[in-house]
Amino acid sequence: MASVNKTPATAAGDQSAWNEAYDRLLNFLRAFELDDHAYVSQLAGEIFRQAKERHREDPSLSPTVLTLELAQKRLADWLATNLGEESRTTSQILATGAIAMLLSKVYQTAPDSFLANPVPEELRQALRETLLVTGPDLNVSSMTPRHLDYGPMLQFARQTWHRWEVKELAVAILFWAGVYTFFYWWLSPIP
Amino acid sequence: MNETNHHTPDFVVRRTLFLGLSTALTATGFVLMLKSYSGQKFWEDYVTLAVFPLLFSQIAVGFVLALFGCFDKLRGGDRHHIMRGAWREKEDSIPLAATAIVVPVYNEEVSRISKAVANMWRSLEKTGQIEQFDFYICSDSTDADHWIEEECAWLSLCTTLNAFGKIFYRKRRHRINGKSGNVADFCRRWGKRYRYMIVLDADSIMTGTTLVRLVRAMEANPAAGIIQTQPYMVLGSSLFRRVLQFSSKVYGGLFSQGCSMAQMSSGSYWGHNAIIRVAPFIEYCDLPLLPVPDPGKRHVLSHDTVEAALMRRSGYGVWIAYDEPGSYEEGPPNLSDMLTRDRRWCAGNLQHFWFLFARGIEMGSRLQIWIGLMGYLCSPLWLTFLVAGSFGAYFRQRFLMFSADPEDLSAASNSGAGILLALTLTLLFVPRLLGVLTTLPRARQFGGVIRMLFSALLENILSCLLAPVLMMFHTLFVLLTISGMQIKWNTQNRADTGLTFTHCLKLYGWLTVLGVVTCQVAASYLGNASWWLVPILAGWILAPLLAWVTSGRRLGLLFRSAGLFVTPEETDPPPELLGLDDGDEESQTGTAAPSPLWVQALLNPYVKAVHLSMVRQGSHNSVTPSRSLTALRERLIKEGPRGLTPKEKQRLLWDGESVFWLHQQLWSRPAAQMHPGWIQLQTESSTSRLMRDYLMADNER
Repeated sequence: MASVNKTPATAAGDQSAWNEAYDRLLNFLRAFELDDHAYVSQLAGEIFRQAKERHREDPSLSPTVLTLELAQKRLADWLATNLGEESRTTSQILATGAIAMLLSKVYQTAPDSFLANPVPEELRQALRETLLVTGPDLNVSSMTPRHLDYGPMLQFARQTWHRWEVKELAVAILFWAGVYTFFYWWLSPIP
Repeated sequence: MNETNHHTPDFVVRRTLFLGLSTALTATGFVLMLKSYSGQKFWEDYVTLAVFPLLFSQIAVGFVLALFGCFDKLRGGDRHHIMRGAWREKEDSIPLAATAIVVPVYNEEVSRISKAVANMWRSLEKTGQIEQFDFYICSDSTDADHWIEEECAWLSLCTTLNAFGKIFYRKRRHRINGKSGNVADFCRRWGKRYRYMIVLDADSIMTGTTLVRLVRAMEANPAAGIIQTQPYMVLGSSLFRRVLQFSSKVYGGLFSQGCSMAQMSSGSYWGHNAIIRVAPFIEYCDLPLLPVPDPGKRHVLSHDTVEAALMRRSGYGVWIAYDEPGSYEEGPPNLSDMLTRDRRWCAGNLQHFWFLFARGIEMGSRLQIWIGLMGYLCSPLWLTFLVAGSFGAYFRQRFLMFSADPEDLSAASNSGAGILLALTLTLLFVPRLLGVLTTLPRARQFGGVIRMLFSALLENILSCLLAPVLMMFHTLFVLLTISGMQIKWNTQNRADTGLTFTHCLKLYGWLTVLGVVTCQVAASYLGNASWWLVPILAGWILAPLLAWVTSGRRLGLLFRSAGLFVTPEETDPPPELLGLDDGDEESQTGTAAPSPLWVQALLNPYVKAVHLSMVRQGSHNSVTPSRSLTALRERLIKEGPRGLTPKEKQRLLWDGESVFWLHQQLWSRPAAQMHPGWIQLQTESSTSRLMRDYLMADNER
């Protein structure tokens, strides 16, 4: 009885996990903004099927992790092949590749070539020729302030800073305020 | 590199006239003041008399400058001016040199900046000289959303204008020394590649013709270090901004022209819309630290005046190209934003005190520093003058009442106060009148003679009402600065979004209370003499209303449709300004970038790629991240993007490997192991057309 109850629950859990994996994959692929939406769905189905096959071989893997890792690996492999830069790290290939896709407008001109092999030669050339110039080479200069003699005010200020503490200053101010108040009271005309 | 014009008789005559006239007017005012205070004196009178020459000298200097400007305008311009040399006859044949257009930005509205860069690019293309110019958008933005939006805008600009390798974006990792540090950083990295740099503000725009002419002027005049253009305020829609841009157009040029005539090659530099010779700037103009005990306060806040003084000190000239058209900026949209800016400027200008007595600073530079200093110090002095004057008047009244001495009464009534008042009003309003008169021939561009005159009248009334408000706030700023309170360098708001009445009441309500109380006290104790205070008290009492009414777009646009406060840039807008105020419409309608945009550098493949290609230049990437960075990455995933502080966001975004790792993780982790907000953000990333709207957005007008 217990095993009868357990099986449908696991199946429902599996389905939910695979649904999540599929939704995530679709969102991941849609983020490339390919013009051909049907191709995106087709691609998603293809990767999804591969993920399910892999999952049968190793059921301990999470469907989302498995599906998206497959998609990311396929993207990295596709870019590495078409950019001809297998020696670089995955992160570098993905960054350069996405820029190349963007600037050669793959999303618009050849959306159905995305993650497909082989790609048309013109597209491969376009991807390889795209170069993002982010900044010119540095041409370093030394820019340091020249000495500036601040003149007599600095001498005066230094003497004051060194001589006066806040407490002393407060006492001095109070003293002179008292003196001036006295004179004011004394000299004010009598109404 | 020595300037020769400082030894010409012409220059000596100009300076002698300028100083002589200013001193003579101040002395006349002081004598009249002394005359009006003949008879019994009270200690308050001595305070008034002590403050008076300082205050009066400022209006005298303004008057003389306007007079110089008017004279120069009438005679058709200064033949010794750098922009009027013989080189102008063969101007087109002068080859250009490599020039960088540097746009320092700090959390500014990105769409406005990229539109301005695009417009300037197109304008330069039309001159056929674009090859000589490179643009550098030098960002100091601390807001992660701004940072990512700036990167997207840069790519969009480059693709739209086919400007890869000509428009560059640089984000500074450590924001040291504000804007001056930003420009200095550019000089250190790439300064050697260029002979000139044209420094702009985030709200600046210049036409291609002007940019090219400035480079040619520098090429033709090797002794020129800086040429500062007169930027006119444009694109205002709030009443406040429209009044400012009208007054800057009608009066501003006159003062600049007068200043240029008096100062010649010892002119001002205002920090933007100016061309700078890079080599001497690098060699001589790095800002020295101030000699104050607190290491946190040694940085020069307001760099431009000091840089001009240092450039002048090195022997290069600093000129004002007062009548060069095609140089624009945007003013503060409302009173509150102007005060925010003024608080910053006040702190900066007061620091300049140190350079006033520094050795080797040229007389003209000292004069500029002094004028800048007094621009803010005048406010506490004016307040002191008013308070002491009122007390003096009170005591004098009491004295006269009790003394009953006919000679005293006669002395009081025959005083020079009337003449002094007439002289003061002359010095205050004649420059404005001259501004209007010299603009009259172009009145059609200002909406016609009647409308222009009416606008000028309204502007004068508004200025009179705002002056006492500014006096109080500037006094406060001076006191805050002297007491050592920190001034935060805030982003200037450039959108005419309006102020709420509650905000105005909170910020300016105390002035209303002060005005009403002073009114009662003055009426009770001063009697008829209290009428003198009416313009001041009216400004205080009406302050919240004025701030509120002038801040909105509706009234500003109403005045525009009535043909009031119209400027030539509105009647005949130059193509470079077209489309720049669309941002205001967007901010009104609420169209904006998806928020938070910075997370798209972690989710969107294209935004991430652009960002990684930028930060990799810095090569601060952790192959094996530190424990704290690992914890930060995990926290971001678990707590969502809103769980991080601005500094933490910056830290993650600066680390290329973290960005890559987070991208992988955010897409592949099961929902149960992430903050629920990420699922929503993933959906937004895949449906928001980020790439088309931001990265490949067309900057066509």
